[in-house]
Amino acid sequence: MFRHEWIEKNAILLLVLTLLTVAIGGIVEIIPLFTIETTVEHVVGMRPYTPLELMGRGIYIREGCYLCHSQQIRALKDEVERYGHFSLAAESMYDHPFQWGSKRIGPDLARVGGKYSSDWHYAHLTNPQELVPESLMPKYRFMATTPLDFDHVAEHLRTNRFVGVPYSDEQIAHAKEDLLTQADPTADAEALMKRYPKAVVVPGSTKGPTEMDALVAYLQMLGTLVDFANTSAEKLQQ
Amino acid sequence: MAEPMQVPIQYNEAVVRKFVIAGVFWAVVAFLVGVYIAAELAWPEANLGFSFVNFGRLRPVHTSGAIFAFGGSILLGTSFYVVQRTCRARLFGGEALADFVFWGYQFFIVMAALSYVMGYSQGQEYAEPEWHLDLWLTVVWVIYAVIFVGTLLKREEPHIYVANWFYLAFILTIAVLHLVNNAAIPISMYSAKSYSVYSGVQSALIQWWYGHNAVGFFLTAGFLGMMYYFIPKQADRPIYSYRLSVVHFWSLVFMYIWAGPHHLHYTSLPDWTQTLGMVFSLMLWMPSWGGMINGLMTLSGAWDKLRTNPALRFSVTAVGFYGMSTFEGPVLSIRDVNALAHYTDWVVGHVHSGTLGWNAFISFGAIYYLVPALWKRSGLYSTRLVAWHYWISTLGIVLYISSMWVAGIMQGLMWRAYDAFGFLQYSFAESVNAVHPYYVIRWMGGVMFFVGALIMVYNLVMTVRSPSTNLSASDAGQFGPAGAVVAGE
Amino acid sequence: MEDDISGIIVGIMVAVLGLVGLVMASGAYDSEIFIFGLSVAGFAVLFDIGLIRRHHDRRALARHRGGKHG
Repeated sequence: MFRHEWIEKNAILLLVLTLLTVAIGGIVEIIPLFTIETTVEHVVGMRPYTPLELMGRGIYIREGCYLCHSQQIRALKDEVERYGHFSLAAESMYDHPFQWGSKRIGPDLARVGGKYSSDWHYAHLTNPQELVPESLMPKYRFMATTPLDFDHVAEHLRTNRFVGVPYSDEQIAHAKEDLLTQADPTADAEALMKRYPKAVVVPGSTKGPTEMDALVAYLQMLGTLVDFANTSAEKLQQ
Repeated sequence: MAEPMQVPIQYNEAVVRKFVIAGVFWAVVAFLVGVYIAAELAWPEANLGFSFVNFGRLRPVHTSGAIFAFGGSILLGTSFYVVQRTCRARLFGGEALADFVFWGYQFFIVMAALSYVMGYSQGQEYAEPEWHLDLWLTVVWVIYAVIFVGTLLKREEPHIYVANWFYLAFILTIAVLHLVNNAAIPISMYSAKSYSVYSGVQSALIQWWYGHNAVGFFLTAGFLGMMYYFIPKQADRPIYSYRLSVVHFWSLVFMYIWAGPHHLHYTSLPDWTQTLGMVFSLMLWMPSWGGMINGLMTLSGAWDKLRTNPALRFSVTAVGFYGMSTFEGPVLSIRDVNALAHYTDWVVGHVHSGTLGWNAFISFGAIYYLVPALWKRSGLYSTRLVAWHYWISTLGIVLYISSMWVAGIMQGLMWRAYDAFGFLQYSFAESVNAVHPYYVIRWMGGVMFFVGALIMVYNLVMTVRSPSTNLSASDAGQFGPAGAVVAGE
Repeated sequence: MEDDISGIIVGIMVAVLGLVGLVMASGAYDSEIFIFGLSVAGFAVLFDIGLIRRHHDRRALARHRGGKHG
């Protein structure tokens, strides 16, 4: 006849049973997300971030942009109408970690890429209230005058590859070059576009890429990669 | 090796005193930062255009400050106090080990806050500290676990009291959550920047498995440990039901883990996972209210003490808010409710009814009990000030949560509103404008809560220092030999 | 006695952590690691000095009270 007393009188038993109990839920919910193959949908168009976009994403994360802006359009009618096609798991597959967000103090950004001109983004980041008077967003003027620190950008790509993002040797070797090209409208972007389709070249500045250049490059590609015309409902089944 | 019963046990109270002081200090800091960021949302000019104080960088200072600095210091301190007294054993590992846990934990807190302000973050809520700070915390936490479990193992009292089951579950589960969710590869050991080993949908679920169980085990199980000790102590009554304690404990620690997906309804998380999360979140209402009943019914026959003991009022009200939040939570987990509430301020209101109403209030109850006991004073300097603290804070909470309910539901409805022609009626900016008055009310609620805490600080400082609370010859014996037996199960 | 052993083990562990901090600070890519590394080293110094000071204070107190209490 089992008595709970046995557990209460044995610290190690209590410890082991507690650990086992709390492990179950996590195992059942998390492991299948790695083993069920269709969890991440098979779609065409996804590619790793360009070096400049990756640096921009780093700035997005450090400034806590995800605290006010979500990047996940839910499968709800009004949401799809306001922001575009609902988000697919595949679209964040290279986001280490995910940036879906949990609060909208500002609008969702999952498909903000291409919706506004780069000039609009520069103006908005510098002084949001000038473009949107009701905005609660802080002013990020300092980003436009802070040079981007990209000395170690190749190491960023290499680390991403280590955690599963398929950067090629070529992409890693040309990391700095590609970053500079993407922030220079006068440069020849052919090699960049071949390595990273749909990358958006940003205005840049005479003194070299700024933090704002990186952030805008990142924002301008969000949600633009997957070709929805070319995908079917079956492919989106998880 | 049993100690001879005549020799009183020298408990390590010094480390508990340190944690209480730290907890009270961080409470004030965390509430102040909260008031500031609430001001930034009501009046964005408060961001000052200055990177170090903008909302995005300060928000984690507030959340880490409230959860880990304030909550954590009180949890670690009370766990050390409770485990020693309910085991009738001095803390395992000696003085230096306990001091390392204290100073190491404080170091983690300060370094984390500094890192956010300087612009370093992992980009995951309640897990913002980068890899190097995560490693440091791991060292501190392992040692904390060693001390706690070691004290259980050297106990004189054969039964492990229920409060310790909850503290143990908190310590173990947080370790697992921390290690799994923070798994990341730095670009170099010389760089603060790292990349999570998880991405996309898997990263999302692991983060919210972590996030919800930070709530379930840090903010719930650990604080339930507090409830199971301090309420019986303050009411001078045993816990209402032993059997309920057993059922409460095992069902809670089993079910909580599954609730994570309710943060991800209608997202690209697979449907089956969302459904599992919803079902378990709903079931979780039962063990939660079981705990609430156990705590409240302990007052059975002692309700009059609420009139004379304002500190007990905090503890009991805390359990009431706990019940409220653990009803609201399951409601918010229902897919259709969540469709309206997700991304809105309703969630913020829910969080704060739990953190202010449950976590902060039960902490205040414990702190008001502990300070006279630990500093050997005859009692609190002023019970009237405790009452003032209580009423101002409660009013603050009411303002906070009601303003957020209104704001949240308004946002949800505006975002999904269609006009007569079938177009979306409101722009996003219009919804931002509409909630401004409620953001001001929320800020006021936060200010009141902060003022209440300042009253508490004054009262506690005076308790320690005022001659009016010196122990007289007649009540010198009130704290008994250090090994005095505690309230039974 | 237990406190003495505890002090030695923790003291050594903290000293090692302090050295790791110095190594990290020496090659830091960013100000975060630089400040963290130096702060850990500072923590180690202060903590260990505190341990040593308390040990000696206790010894002195015990001697003052007449006879050492192991």
